[in-house]
Amino acid sequence: MLTNTAPVAKLYLSIIDDVIESMRELFTDEGLEDRVLDDLRQIWESKMMQSKAMEDYRKSNINSSNFVLQLPANYNRTNQELTASVVIPNNSGILPTFSLPAGLSYPVQIPAGVTLQTASGQLYKVNVPVVVTQAPAGQPPVSRLAQVIERRESPDPPSTAAPPDASRPPQEAEALSAPAISDKQQQQQQQQQQQPPPPHPKTNFPPGEESALPQQPLVPPAEASQPPGAHFPQPEAPPGESEPNPPPEPATLCASASPCSQLLDFQISTEEALTQTGQLRTNDLDDILKEVIEEERGKAVMARKTVNQSDADLGVIKKLISLLLEVCVCVCTLISLVLQHVLITLVLTTHLYPQDPLNSGDDVVEQDIPDLFDTDNVIVCQYDKIHRSKNRWKFHLKDGVICYGGRDYVFSKAVGEAEW
Amino acid sequence: MAYQLYRNTTLGNSLQESLDELIQTQQITPQLALQVLLQFDKAINMALANRVRNRVNFRGSLNTYRFCDNVWTFVLNDVEFREVTDLVKVDKVKIVACDGKSESTQNKNDKCQRTSHCTCSIFFFIFYLQCAGGLRTVCCYFSAGSSLIKNFI
Repeated sequence: MLTNTAPVAKLYLSIIDDVIESMRELFTDEGLEDRVLDDLRQIWESKMMQSKAMEDYRKSNINSSNFVLQLPANYNRTNQELTASVVIPNNSGILPTFSLPAGLSYPVQIPAGVTLQTASGQLYKVNVPVVVTQAPAGQPPVSRLAQVIERRESPDPPSTAAPPDASRPPQEAEALSAPAISDKQQQQQQQQQQQPPPPHPKTNFPPGEESALPQQPLVPPAEASQPPGAHFPQPEAPPGESEPNPPPEPATLCASASPCSQLLDFQISTEEALTQTGQLRTNDLDDILKEVIEEERGKAVMARKTVNQSDADLGVIKKLISLLLEVCVCVCTLISLVLQHVLITLVLTTHLYPQDPLNSGDDVVEQDIPDLFDTDNVIVCQYDKIHRSKNRWKFHLKDGVICYGGRDYVFSKAVGEAEW
Repeated sequence: MAYQLYRNTTLGNSLQESLDELIQTQQITPQLALQVLLQFDKAINMALANRVRNRVNFRGSLNTYRFCDNVWTFVLNDVEFREVTDLVKVDKVKIVACDGKSESTQNKNDKCQRTSHCTCSIFFFIFYLQCAGGLRTVCCYFSAGSSLIKNFI
């Protein structure tokens, strides 16, 4: 069947010829001109050519050209003019094709002013420069032109690949310079860290004693016998230094006066320091005891706080659990209500509205029949014999035309089987 | 009279559309268009009967069948058409078939009428001759018999 399309086209053309020729006499009897009959033939053939039934016939006849390209004598093929599309008016309904003169091949560039002559003798003048290229069979000319335009635009993208390469060395140079800068910074930091700290004075006095020296340089020894509970306006020693340091060595103090006066002053200062240290010892013990007591008190308070917090946490948890339980109960009640509602509605609908009778869906609705016979694949033919045996059918057909997929096929005999 | 069912083909539909255009432009009358269609029916029937010589086989499942006014209408599903080596599968196809024997039966009826007329005339002629008598009777018998044989041939 697929190879039967070309003979079908010839058959159709022969039928057209028979009909036209047989009607010629009748048309003349009616007083009509032959032009009317020719118009009928032309319209009929054009409609057939446009349909898929004559597609193969049209493809097989595409090589036959009906346009002859006549170029002027001064035609120069090397003239590189811009392109434009030319649409030849197609009044005959037949696909226009070109045939080139001898010695020329595609593509052909036609400047303005060239005259084209059809096989039937009609003349067409080209007002715009044209390039005629050979397209594949069946391809429209507009798409070919679009391809040409795209090819001309394509050379631009490759040129954009060059600049990124040139920018690479400066970026690398910047990358190399960046670590050098960071190294310098690190070195500077290291140098700063390595700078030795300023020297501290080498004294072994506790901080309290140092401050006491300039304040009370002439304190008499009698004052040293004060009760141990007295508080002196002196900063307390850190707890870690509960035992005072031993008296300092005289050589470590710095003074600008003479050595003798320095010694005297030093002796006085040491005596004063000794008295002060005794007082400090008692004071320290009191402080220590106080500190211990305070620590114990703080610990007790913290313990009480933790206990209270745990009690609070338990209460919160209990509250949360109770809330969750209440929420669950509410949700369950809601679900049950919804289900009850649905059941009630179902019962009411079943009882209030009558149900469809049994097997009611088996009936063929009248509306389905047009759709059942509605199809584009049709076979019109004559039958010699139609035979049925139970549900097996046999068909003997003849002189038929099959219309399938827009194409027509013919047969003289067709034998078929089908099961219902 | 040829079947008009081939007007529902691509060729027939295009002819009807063309005739409608000429009618709209008042180049032809509807009666003339009808004459053209009748001529088309004859031409396509003759062409299919005389110019086509190929055979097709098909197999499928029958969905619907209808027989009305001596016209069969079938709807088949999943049909395979086979012609020599070609195979085409179609999901759904409709077959409209007119009686292909209607013309042949009509021709046979005409022939029967002709033979019956001949025999009556022969017998009447024989009776006349018997009345006339003689050799002419024998010749008439012979001529009647020969004419009868010719009719049947």
